[in-house]
Amino acid sequence: MDLAIETNHLTKNFGSKTGCADICLSVPRGHVFGFLGPNGAGKSTLVKMLVGLLTPTAGRARLLGRPLGDRAARRRTGFLPELFRYPDWMTGREVLDFYAGLYHLDAVTRRRRIPLVLETVGLTGREKQRVRSFSKGMQQRLGLACALLPDPDLIFLDEPTSALDPLGRREVREIISALKSGGKTVFLNSHLLGEVEQVCDRVAVIRKGRIVADGALEELLSVNLEVSLEVEGWTPELEAALAHLSTGFTRVERRARLTLAGREDLARVAELVLAHGARLYSLVPGQRSLEELFVDLIGNEN
Amino acid sequence: MLTMILYTWREMLHRRVLAVTLLMVVAFLVLYGLAVRQLALHSGDLDPLAKSIVIPQIFSAGLYFGSFIVSFLAVFSALGAVSGEVENGTVYGLVATPVRRAEILLGKFLGYALALVVYAALFFLAIGAIVRGYTSLAPGGQGGALALFCLQPLVLLAVTVLGSTLLPTLANGILMFMLYAVAMVGGMLEQIGWLLHVQSLQQIGIISSLIMPVDALYRKIVYILLTPTATPLQALTQMGPFGAQVEPSVWMLVYTIAYLLVAVALAVRNFNRRDF
Repeated sequence: MDLAIETNHLTKNFGSKTGCADICLSVPRGHVFGFLGPNGAGKSTLVKMLVGLLTPTAGRARLLGRPLGDRAARRRTGFLPELFRYPDWMTGREVLDFYAGLYHLDAVTRRRRIPLVLETVGLTGREKQRVRSFSKGMQQRLGLACALLPDPDLIFLDEPTSALDPLGRREVREIISALKSGGKTVFLNSHLLGEVEQVCDRVAVIRKGRIVADGALEELLSVNLEVSLEVEGWTPELEAALAHLSTGFTRVERRARLTLAGREDLARVAELVLAHGARLYSLVPGQRSLEELFVDLIGNEN
Repeated sequence: MLTMILYTWREMLHRRVLAVTLLMVVAFLVLYGLAVRQLALHSGDLDPLAKSIVIPQIFSAGLYFGSFIVSFLAVFSALGAVSGEVENGTVYGLVATPVRRAEILLGKFLGYALALVVYAALFFLAIGAIVRGYTSLAPGGQGGALALFCLQPLVLLAVTVLGSTLLPTLANGILMFMLYAVAMVGGMLEQIGWLLHVQSLQQIGIISSLIMPVDALYRKIVYILLTPTATPLQALTQMGPFGAQVEPSVWMLVYTIAYLLVAVALAVRNFNRRDF
């Protein structure tokens, strides 16, 4: 598998305090990867290590197949910081020109890319205003434009919609989807679980500096799957068999609810009902939400 | 690095440090020019001995306060070279780009340095033109003195940028002000020490020059300009707080250049290692 990001026991300590510990992640190219965790869990610490703002205490990582810090990989990487600040005395256009210079974009590429990213983030017509006159949402859009400017193969977005209204958030989701369609890899730090659920292929959850879950979103959400079924012809043996298969089983007349370990047990439920001579009228797997998964994994941090 | 140099120049323009300093320079040159003109008009009333003392001292005073203004520019323009970017939050996007951290810092340093050299050179030439225009003074060794006058702010710039990698902007400003004060006061004490043959004062001056060598550079400049030949009047032309009783040695110059290079190297090292 061609990996955009690969970390191997990546660790960052701040004195005696752990920022991140033993982070082992693999993000395939072309995926949208969601990185979740409560405040202070280490999400931004990991991103900052990967983009070169922090020096890891231990471990290794590769971006786009090259070691951390490699200049060639950096040229193909974009980054929107959580704290998105740009020189307030510059205009939007000047900021983009400045970043184009930092990414060594030639004049032809600049002329083509700058209007394109301005349009992508919805700032066309505002580029001659000074950043000090921008709203917070506009500054975040400008930051996204800077991240997209070099047409990166890998892009890190740290809370990319924190300052945007619902329409703006939808626009960012569309941008992320377009990036994925273009074969780009997106690493998304976000508190907005609904947003992550809508755009991400894979997620990892971090708690107190350590990964507590990592995998394809669909697989993670199918763990502890709640299922509703309607059966005619319940027998004690059938109830016992379903209770044995599940971690939680309740029945009221014809309807029952059970909690399965994963989607793979769904077919077994149907098999058991039929094997015990009952009639199966409906078998509906519940859609577990990312929020429920998050709460289960993180618990009550307070 | 060119991107960072241009960015630094534009930032200097927008933050109006250059503009404010330019106002100070203009105001100073106008006042200085008027003073020198008045001196020239009334110098006919002075006997030749008094004239040979007063005119060089007016010249060296002009250079002294001129170097103060240029030093002001050096410190205040670079005070937040790194700390300002951190405090504003602009450092995160900047450091995550493909540009090496050393290039970012050296680009800023060179941007400030080039502006300061131009500023200092024009200032030096303006003072020299005023003095030559109104008086009979013809300072020698101006090429070497010009180079040293331009080197002075670069020394302060290097230490200011270094301080900016370690301290918040305000603390860096306080530190630079104190270092400059140490240099100025130590330099004056050293002059008194040489004049009155008090060794302890001479040593205080030497130590202060090792801590911050800008005053020693200034004394070298004045000595070059006002002592073209050894004459009985040599000591008199160098009297007063703005003169140089003793020429700082060439080793002081070597030390100053090494001091500057070490400060820049340490600044690059600190910036490379720092977590943001």
